Amino acid sequence: MPYLADLEQSGIPTALLTYNEEIRKVEHDSVLWGVPKLRYVEASRSSPGGVEEADKVMPLLLDGLTRPLTQKEKERGRWAPKEPRILFEGTLDEAQEFYQQTESLPGLLGAPFSKYTDGLPIIIPTEERVAEMLKHTSHKPDELITLQRDVEETAGMSRMPRKTDKFMPLGKRITFKKGEPVRFMPMGRVATVEQVAVNAVMAGCKPEYFPAVLAIAESDPGSGGGGRGGAAYIVSGPVYKEIGMNVSYGMFDPCNPANMTLGRVGNLLWRNLGGYKESVTTVTTGLGNAVTSRGFIFAECTEKLPVGWQGLNEEMGFRKDESIIMTAHPGAWGLGQEHMPGVYRSLQRTGHGAIARYLGVKGIVGPHNYLEFLTRGIWACREGGFTLVLVPQMAQDLYDYGFKTKDEIYEWIWKKSFEPLGEYRMRGTPDEHTNGWMGIERTSGKHWKELSDDYMVPAGGYGPWDYCILVADCQETASLRFSGGHGQAYSIDAWR
Amino acid sequence: MAEKDRSYKCLNPVGIQEPVEQFPLAPRLDTLRGKTVHLSICGEMDIWVPLEKRLKSDFPDTNWTMKKGYTPTPVQLTEEERKTTDAVILGVCW
Repeated sequence: MPYLADLEQSGIPTALLTYNEEIRKVEHDSVLWGVPKLRYVEASRSSPGGVEEADKVMPLLLDGLTRPLTQKEKERGRWAPKEPRILFEGTLDEAQEFYQQTESLPGLLGAPFSKYTDGLPIIIPTEERVAEMLKHTSHKPDELITLQRDVEETAGMSRMPRKTDKFMPLGKRITFKKGEPVRFMPMGRVATVEQVAVNAVMAGCKPEYFPAVLAIAESDPGSGGGGRGGAAYIVSGPVYKEIGMNVSYGMFDPCNPANMTLGRVGNLLWRNLGGYKESVTTVTTGLGNAVTSRGFIFAECTEKLPVGWQGLNEEMGFRKDESIIMTAHPGAWGLGQEHMPGVYRSLQRTGHGAIARYLGVKGIVGPHNYLEFLTRGIWACREGGFTLVLVPQMAQDLYDYGFKTKDEIYEWIWKKSFEPLGEYRMRGTPDEHTNGWMGIERTSGKHWKELSDDYMVPAGGYGPWDYCILVADCQETASLRFSGGHGQAYSIDAWR
Repeated sequence: MAEKDRSYKCLNPVGIQEPVEQFPLAPRLDTLRGKTVHLSICGEMDIWVPLEKRLKSDFPDTNWTMKKGYTPTPVQLTEEERKTTDAVILGVCW
């Protein structure tokens, strides 16, 4: 939309062809980018397409370029919605009812959509509760949420585009500078420390969690997939102990207040700061993400790492004693070979069981390379990297086997993912991320179309950094895997 | 007063929308003849392939230029290309 708006403003008439379920977002975004009467033509996803659809839309598109402007289309103006600081006055019961109001969205077959919440009851953000939250940061209530250090992102794929970012080639890395205000997607709003505190109260966060909430806010929880949310957060550093996050048995299950409420707050920030409204400000063009939709946060247990392996905070360029969050975008859960935990112990203790048979080490005591088994077929149905959450014993076994750093493992797994180009072409997603095979293949530096079918390319992401390994406290020898590797890191300490 | 009857001031969780200047649309073309119209293609080739053919065959006096991508993000015109472009059709994603 910023491109179309810029063309119109520079005197070049445009006509947009869009799918009909996206027109509410087109109309919304055209206001957001300053061309409220942008002309568009609706296409249908359910039509047979082809010649029939082309015949239907062609005259409408040409009409959009040639029909004289109406008076309304010639008007200038200013869109400046205002929100009051005090939203509601009344009893707590009345406030609960007020904050839980919904509206019916036609794009969702009339289903109710919460105006201020994630759909669940909230803690009412009274002035007193918000003031208590604000005591746990040195940042002033009226301070805007800004980046606390430079952040490099991919153009068009992550944060709200800036007006100065036009003519950015797709995929170009751009830097958002320290001190720039965070523009919360999808609507590009800015927010104060106090407004984040309001959402933290609503989510049920305890005041001592607030620096972590502010770091989550800095990450822009709605920015995943261009305003489609779905963010997850991984905490690293001593803060997890301070606020009592569960890094042990059941850490992805309910009943730990920090894990549950910090996971939840990202959705509230996406709704309230970003203005997420499905089918209006955002079109996910899908059914959502069950992995992250109820909040997804956990912390690593760095003290259980093998000696020599770095914690996530150090991997991301921070000190060992600094606390950070890293964003992740897990789209799939439970990748790779499953096994009973005892089968793993049999492999390493005595060289017996299924994994030992697969590795051909029957009767030979470990350490053995469990990754050989785990990665068998792991890219068969899905490309890209993944995060592996290990228990201490499994991490130590990998260390003893010979992986003295996490980086050695990332490299090993990524190289394991190479396959012949002829097979890679049969996959479902490379048509898009190779830009129709018109771009350059990274490992060779050559055009995709110059490469032979037997040229080996990685199915497992752009490089070793697309993998991530974390350790949690647990003695049961099982691992968790979810898609996506290293993300963007934000300091929690910067928000103390 | 009982706690349940007390009135509270409750704060707003919504972020700040900065004002946006609203602009008129660009003047439209009086004719397509002799004009350069750019097709900015972002995927959905099953519509675009026949559409492009029809445009070129039905309007041979129009100079049709094109940039094609397979992602929702359009491949943009440069400043230099904009100087010689009279109109743009963009789709299907945006």
